[in-house]
Amino acid sequence: MVNLQDMTLKMTASPHLKSPKKTDWIMKQVVIALLFPLAAAIYFFGIKSLFMVIVGILSSVLFEYAYQKIKDQPVRINDYSAVITGMLLGLSVPVTAPYWSIVVGSFFAIVIIKQLPGGIGRNMFNPAVGARVMLKVFFSPWITNWVTPGRGTDVVSTATPLESIGHFSRTVGEDVPGLWDLFLGVNLGGNIGETSKAMILLAFIYLVVRGVINMKIPLLYVITVAVISSIYGGYDTTYMMTHVLSGTLVFAAVFMATDYTSGALTPGGQTIFAIGAGVLTIGIRILFDFPGGVGFAILIMNALSPLIDKYLAPRIYGHKKRPKVSLS
Amino acid sequence: MLNLKLKYKRRGAYTEERKERTEHKVIVDAPLSDTMIYPLNMHIGKPAEPIVEVGDHVKMGQLIAEKQGFVSANIYASVSGTVEAIKDMPSMHGPNRAIVIQNDFKDTPAPLLVEPNQHLTPQEKLALVEKAGIVGMGGATFPTHVKLSPPKEKQIDTLIINGAECETYSTADHRLMIESADDIIAGVKELLSLFPIKQTYIAIETNVHDSVEALKRAIGDDTRIKIKELETLYPQGAEKQLIKTLVNREVPSAGLPLDVHTIVANVSTVRAVYLAIQKGLPLLDRVTTLTGEPIKDPQNFRVRIGTPIQVLIDASGGFVSKTGKMLHGGPMMGKPITSGQVPITKGTSVVTFLPKEEVKEDERTPCIKCAECLNVCPVSLQPILISNAYEKGDIDEAERLGAMDCIDCGNCSFICPANIPLLDNIRQAKTEIRARKEKA
Repeated sequence: MVNLQDMTLKMTASPHLKSPKKTDWIMKQVVIALLFPLAAAIYFFGIKSLFMVIVGILSSVLFEYAYQKIKDQPVRINDYSAVITGMLLGLSVPVTAPYWSIVVGSFFAIVIIKQLPGGIGRNMFNPAVGARVMLKVFFSPWITNWVTPGRGTDVVSTATPLESIGHFSRTVGEDVPGLWDLFLGVNLGGNIGETSKAMILLAFIYLVVRGVINMKIPLLYVITVAVISSIYGGYDTTYMMTHVLSGTLVFAAVFMATDYTSGALTPGGQTIFAIGAGVLTIGIRILFDFPGGVGFAILIMNALSPLIDKYLAPRIYGHKKRPKVSLS
Repeated sequence: MLNLKLKYKRRGAYTEERKERTEHKVIVDAPLSDTMIYPLNMHIGKPAEPIVEVGDHVKMGQLIAEKQGFVSANIYASVSGTVEAIKDMPSMHGPNRAIVIQNDFKDTPAPLLVEPNQHLTPQEKLALVEKAGIVGMGGATFPTHVKLSPPKEKQIDTLIINGAECETYSTADHRLMIESADDIIAGVKELLSLFPIKQTYIAIETNVHDSVEALKRAIGDDTRIKIKELETLYPQGAEKQLIKTLVNREVPSAGLPLDVHTIVANVSTVRAVYLAIQKGLPLLDRVTTLTGEPIKDPQNFRVRIGTPIQVLIDASGGFVSKTGKMLHGGPMMGKPITSGQVPITKGTSVVTFLPKEEVKEDERTPCIKCAECLNVCPVSLQPILISNAYEKGDIDEAERLGAMDCIDCGNCSFICPANIPLLDNIRQAKTEIRARKEKA
């Protein structure tokens, strides 16, 4: 029999049990969720989609590893966060995008946006969103050549639905695919991971059930876009749904607006973040002849979130007012 | 049990339930120990002062240490025997002055506090509760007579009986509600006779549903007492949380439940109130769960106050595997102890042994701002910001962020995916804030 005296008992303070869900577990759940849109990408756009994502993952992880080695920092590639950035980047470009553009995006996302401010948890902006916007601005011809899915080289250049419904348009053009096609991603051009909203919805459900994302953020984001577009379009359901189902909105709402580090911390801040992103997205779409509203919207909210959190610090139990927080 | 864990602002965390080891085990009498240890500070407030001397013979139920001032509690001998020493002994708070009694195993009784089943006035009843040395037996050990003595301007209208035993392994209150439901309800009725109470709730968590039947039977057709089943959530049983959940009142910062016209009392405490008022008995024993994976045969013991934990370990068949931590209390709030000589005191509802493999220090990684510590904080603090402020040495900021409102529940450190010692930092911040106040 074992005696108490023979055992070394630890004296560290409570709590004495810890949740098994560590950072790498959380990140792995997002990786799993991203397999849903990846599957759709491979189905609709072919096996090149898989290679694009692999290039994204390898380059992101490699840049992170190299940066941390060079700066003599602890190497944290095992937390899977660089894997997510790589996957997001690979899924965020059209199938015609050259591999090197993904590598350039990875460099920008990992080195400039994530590691320079101090690595995981320190970046103000979402790395993948920042890199996307950068690519769109500077490398546009290569990464905005939208094509509808085709087998092999049989691809057809196409306009995106957003060019039809955006920029003060209040109606849906003839050339825009039907809502059902927009939802499933059938015959739809676009960034390879973003066309099938059905698969993104599955990923959303997975992440919510796993407790990884706060479902309030994507829902409020999309609902805000839906409400404003509905009002602007004269309560035309087709116009509203075309806005909701087109472009990056749903993908970004699930995978990018929910990013912890670049998002808001407080419950109230998360609400404002989501609604604000929705307002900015639909605002940019309507006001400018420029379909990439989602990226800018999220980046702007990223920049504002520390300020929002400061003013929306939760009221503490037993107090009448919110605590005053200094901006750190 | 599988919980669908949705991520939104909650009033707590879904900590793992590990009650199955003892939840169906009938309360058994613990063996009597030859050495009994009574720490003089086994309650919150001023330590009691011994009124016996080394060599004195004491009877079971005899007062051995007297309360000092209002916030303090009497201590009685729970066996008959001889006072062997009054000296520093191991306790849950480290070495502390204690009365040590050598048990003569005769249980020679001392006179009762009052003849049983007398008709008493509310003042007489309150005096008995004070005399009997009753304190909050859920673990807080706050003297019960203080809770029952509201200042004149604070009319009590709500009574909450706390059967929400939210610590991971605890089953003592659960078993007591099943096996001593009549005593508990009798105690509730005694409390009802003291104040013009308008609403009375017995709060339990849904995972102890079988105790509802027993309580309902005991309540009978008394419509004043209502049972409320609450979600199994930690820290559901924390006083301030119960008040918010049941009657939607918030105890003001640094205030007491009295400030919102409410009394919260644990089920074991209520039973002790019944025993004092109707049976004339001081607080001599309690139910304590001794449990954990390394223990061969975990039990719910009816144990005399002062019994060393080692006696209960032996009565539970000893260890089957190595333990990494011995806790006075449960894994969320318990105090780590190392000596089997530490006695069961008035507030010991559970003694937990954690397996060696579960006691490990995980490497700290950077905060990813997941906001989980905010989501699980029952008092809506921003634990990570307090922790950051403390680590930067900005104690003022920690105070502004509400460090002093922390109730020590441990949810933030439990949930943190980056293993940041959030509660440790908040505790340190609290200590420094208090130190500054004393200086000023």
